[in-house]
Amino acid sequence: MPDNGLLVQMILGALLGLSVYLPMAAGQLSLATPAFYAVGGTLAALMATHADHQGTISLGAVLWEMVVAGALTAALATLVGLPVLRLRGIYLAIATIALVEIVRVAILNLPFTGGATGIFGIPQPFHHPLGYITLSGGLLALCGWAFQRLETSRLGRAMAAIRDDELATRCMGINTTRVKLSAFVASAVLAGVTGVIAAHYLNTWNARQGSFDVAITTLAFVILGGSRSWLGPVIGGLLLTALPELLRPVGDLRLVLFGLVILLGPVFFPQGLITPALLEKLGRWKLRRLKP
Amino acid sequence: METAEAEAMSEQAASLELHGVSRRFGGLQALSDVSFSVQEGEIFGLIGPNGAGKTTLFNLLSGVTPPTSGMIRWRGKRCHGLSPDALNRLGIARTFQNLRLFGELTVLENVLVALHHQAGAQLEPQALALLEELDLAHLADRRADELAYGNRRRLEIARALATKPTLLLLDEPAAGMNPSEKDQLCDLLAEMRQRHQLTLIVIEHHVPLLMQLCHRMAVLDFGRLIALGSPEQIRTNPRVIEAYLGGAR
Amino acid sequence: MSAALLQILLNGAASGGVYALVALGYTLIFSVLGVINFAQGALFSLGGYLTFLLMGGRIGVNGALPGWHLPVALPFWMALLLAAIGAGVVALLVERVAFAPLRRRGADPLLSLITSLGAGVVLVNLLQILMGAEGYAFPAGAAALEGLPEALLIGGARIRTVQVVLLLISAGAVAALTVWLERSRTGQAMRAVAEDPTAARLMGIHSGAIVRLAFLLSGMLAGLGGGLIGLSVSLAGPYFGISFGLKGLAVLVLGGLGSVPGAIAGGLLMGLAEALIPSAASGWRDALAFAVLFAVLVLRPSGLLGRRLQEKV
Repeated sequence: MPDNGLLVQMILGALLGLSVYLPMAAGQLSLATPAFYAVGGTLAALMATHADHQGTISLGAVLWEMVVAGALTAALATLVGLPVLRLRGIYLAIATIALVEIVRVAILNLPFTGGATGIFGIPQPFHHPLGYITLSGGLLALCGWAFQRLETSRLGRAMAAIRDDELATRCMGINTTRVKLSAFVASAVLAGVTGVIAAHYLNTWNARQGSFDVAITTLAFVILGGSRSWLGPVIGGLLLTALPELLRPVGDLRLVLFGLVILLGPVFFPQGLITPALLEKLGRWKLRRLKP
Repeated sequence: METAEAEAMSEQAASLELHGVSRRFGGLQALSDVSFSVQEGEIFGLIGPNGAGKTTLFNLLSGVTPPTSGMIRWRGKRCHGLSPDALNRLGIARTFQNLRLFGELTVLENVLVALHHQAGAQLEPQALALLEELDLAHLADRRADELAYGNRRRLEIARALATKPTLLLLDEPAAGMNPSEKDQLCDLLAEMRQRHQLTLIVIEHHVPLLMQLCHRMAVLDFGRLIALGSPEQIRTNPRVIEAYLGGAR
Repeated sequence: MSAALLQILLNGAASGGVYALVALGYTLIFSVLGVINFAQGALFSLGGYLTFLLMGGRIGVNGALPGWHLPVALPFWMALLLAAIGAGVVALLVERVAFAPLRRRGADPLLSLITSLGAGVVLVNLLQILMGAEGYAFPAGAAALEGLPEALLIGGARIRTVQVVLLLISAGAVAALTVWLERSRTGQAMRAVAEDPTAARLMGIHSGAIVRLAFLLSGMLAGLGGGLIGLSVSLAGPYFGISFGLKGLAVLVLGGLGSVPGAIAGGLLMGLAEALIPSAASGWRDALAFAVLFAVLVLRPSGLLGRRLQEKV
């Protein structure tokens, strides 16, 4: 059974998986999530350490950081998304990798972000992981509710249509740039807000938190969990965050095994763990329970 | 359609106007200096041999590709240079020759996507009504890529109609259909035009079907407009016989 | 030309040559398969470590076998060549495991992005288990440079001999590859597959063999790059290839995906641009490639020398 600390990380992983999933649900392979995660984390670290909190911080202050991080990442994502979302497929993926690297180097070199060692002693709003579980779990539940609604909304359907055929979607009168940008911005906000929680939970923040490695790992959450429904990245995020910890007994081999999972997962589960067929079965099961 | 009626049509104020429309792809002149107009409420046919530029013309009309030069207006509004979504919101909808349904979505969802800009919290009834009209309602929950060919063509039409167009561009709507399906389609299109007050432009390889359906037709050959007129005029036009019908027989 | 500028140009060209090697590796695979092999950076690391071991380097205290070394101590040239071949063979293995199964199934090409990343993660971490996370410097006075002075004076500019060697080897490899692609029967077959896989198959070109060849060559290029950087700088831990892999990606896009001259020009341009950054701002140097990449993608998505893509309706 995972301990409480691991549970927090698992939930944060699920949130990041959802952040990668959002643009993908609109057919956009964006790897920008770690960039916005890093912006959110750095912002929280700066805000929390500059105010005089004496080692502890109120939940209200953390929520306020989340609001500011959300606004900042939304503005940034709009600025970046407008030019970048004209790119397709692998070009978009590479451009967003570039964004991740630019943000990483910036955080490493800016005079006020602590350089390679980063920012230490970020005050904690909770003294027990249970607090973080409630906060991040609450956010995850909120996301689950929102994503479920999204799937049957105009915006969600337009996203699915773009994923299928962007040109045909445009010919249906839908401003696909706006839809893609909405998904990209929402993804950035989710990553930024998750970064705020992570910064407090980890107590320290540095440039490595938002590196290319994180881009790969979070992408793996979605691909291995399944990219056809929001449940996929949640399951993928929970499991894959737990995996390296569960593999701790094998020592150094755990990262090799983790790599093998990423390598072989798509070969054996091309649709991920949560497949459309599985969801359909689940749906029928639910129907049967409702109709006695 | 009678020649007299067709002439009466061409005397009304034009609703779709093309003036000197050209499109070049690298070294290839896909369309050169095409000018004609289509009246509101007309069913207008577009024929020509393969590679004559028919689909290119549709791509220009629907904003998929911009014209290299020339001017296009629909109901007095400038169309050239607008994006496909902007043109759709001006009332121009299209179908695709090579079918571009949202294959992963259900039949119902395909129509719901196209209802994006329609008001009202409940889009399903509107979508189902359209599916009913095109005899697809019984397939509403099927995935679009599971449909038979004829049904896919009709779903493309349903989806285009859902955007509430005033001008509907149909790119080979009868391709792959059997003769009885083609007849049904013919009736259906005439009925659609009445009910939704549409102007229709139809590309079709099956010329007899088009002659039966259209008020007027245009013939393209190597990117040029070589004839324009009633089906009767087209049938007897020597240039058309030479370039198109002659070559085919 | 002032000596200082010449020095910058030569240094820039030397690292640019390595970038071009990595980018060409991507290009070969992209042009035949239309996908990117994200294990390229790991193969770069592998090349560096293999060269080190083949030259008789000892495994450090954090490795699996501390103090162990190969019973041979080859001269740099030979070690580099063998390491490149070794990386090429591993690239074949990567193709086998990460690409071939997906291709056979006709799966979404983007999945191979994940699987190749996975292959890279496995490779890098195996290296880490074997060699430890510490950095390695090549054996002092690496056989290659024995008898050569530490630095050369060219037109008044002082440039490290290693840099010249780096430039010469990468230029040679790039030139040989270009000529081979243009002239040889197999090279032409490879370009035919890149142009139109179906037509190439109709012409009797076995595309499976061409794909494997592309992986072999691209792995060799990465291995070569790793060995060269190991010699001129050092092996800064098993992950050192990843950052070169990422920069190679930037170069690839800068030059235009799938364009051989683009990869070369992009590599040189990137090397020069980095060399021009003043040392006071050297921390930002790593961001330059990506800032340039970002700008190019936004202004001209097909890259500097790439073909424009047109969607067929």
